[in-house]
Amino acid sequence: MGVTKEQVESSLTSKLKPSHLEVTDTSGGCGASFVVEIVSEQFEGKRLLERHRLVNAALEEEMKEIHALSIKKAITPEQWKQQQESVEPKSEA
Amino acid sequence: MATSTVGLSPSPLRSLTSSPSLPPRARIAPSLPFASRLKPRLALSPLPAARRRPAGTRRPRVSAALTSLSETEPVSVPADSGELAGRFPSASGVYAVYDGAGELQFVGISRNIAASIAGHRRSVPELCCSVKVGVVDEPDRVALTQAWKSWMEEHMTATGKVPPGNESGNTTWIRQPPKKKPDLRLTPGRHMQLTVPLEELIDRLVKENKVVAFIKGSRSAPMCGFSQRVIGILESEGVDYESVDVLDEEYNYGLRETLKKYSNWPTFPQVFVDGELVGGCDILTSMYEKGELSGLSKK
Repeated sequence: MGVTKEQVESSLTSKLKPSHLEVTDTSGGCGASFVVEIVSEQFEGKRLLERHRLVNAALEEEMKEIHALSIKKAITPEQWKQQQESVEPKSEA
Repeated sequence: MATSTVGLSPSPLRSLTSSPSLPPRARIAPSLPFASRLKPRLALSPLPAARRRPAGTRRPRVSAALTSLSETEPVSVPADSGELAGRFPSASGVYAVYDGAGELQFVGISRNIAASIAGHRRSVPELCCSVKVGVVDEPDRVALTQAWKSWMEEHMTATGKVPPGNESGNTTWIRQPPKKKPDLRLTPGRHMQLTVPLEELIDRLVKENKVVAFIKGSRSAPMCGFSQRVIGILESEGVDYESVDVLDEEYNYGLRETLKKYSNWPTFPQVFVDGELVGGCDILTSMYEKGELSGLSKK
């Protein structure tokens, strides 16, 4: 058994303090493939590559068993807010 | 990419040309009877299943599902390549390309008809006005060749002519792709002693070349979906790039582990520009979507 979604979530949560996090297991159960959407203040002022590096580093242990990690979004709370407003203007909570 | 037109060896053509079933007098009929019917159609699928001929008619050699050339309706090629996919199937089969005068220019077979037509449209737009498509249901090589032969034969029987693009030596349609560069190799072979550490070979390679993609598999046949996507993006942007197959255990032995350390990046593919890691598939995709790749050097 590889990595679980919960493991990925807890590592990301403890290291990157995300304000929004969505981890999807796309492996069909074997735990080798995940899609991640993450919003964190730590991404502020960083290029996409550096943001991905942060995520990869946070998952260093898990990466040994993960075959495919797709970081769909790695954005700042500010960007997240803008995206939420433009995509779903109603869901502003 | 797996979209290349299948190359047709001239041999079946030659045997057709010398076939006794071709009356030489047929040469005097240059115009095609359906030229006047070239109307653009907006049907989403150019393959009306209902028109398929019932089994057991004229050409029993070919799978009954293939409609004859003359009975297939031409579909106009849209000026906007974005609309191509809606009009032509991405399936395997035979296709016949007509110019503005309704003259048959070329009959080809492809594993992805829409992509092949898009390619022709790019390289010879003036000759690609409409296309007839015959999807081959069980597209093994034999069935595809049979389908191609049947359309070729039908056309030649009707007109006595080989479509110009199918004449031997004509390279208008089937480009022997010079555009596919070979993948670069880092070492002369795994059993050769390296005089320079692998890190340094990587370092030189990414600094000496503007754009380098480290991928799983070769650039012509990527072995992983993410690598394939990266190659697809670079190709469609027309980027002049080099590729390195990290799965090549003979010539790039040890590259995966060394490269991960060199770039501090845990996965493949990895794309470098000017010696700097730009990112993997996700980043490339995102840059592509934002149009940030257009600045890269073109072929």
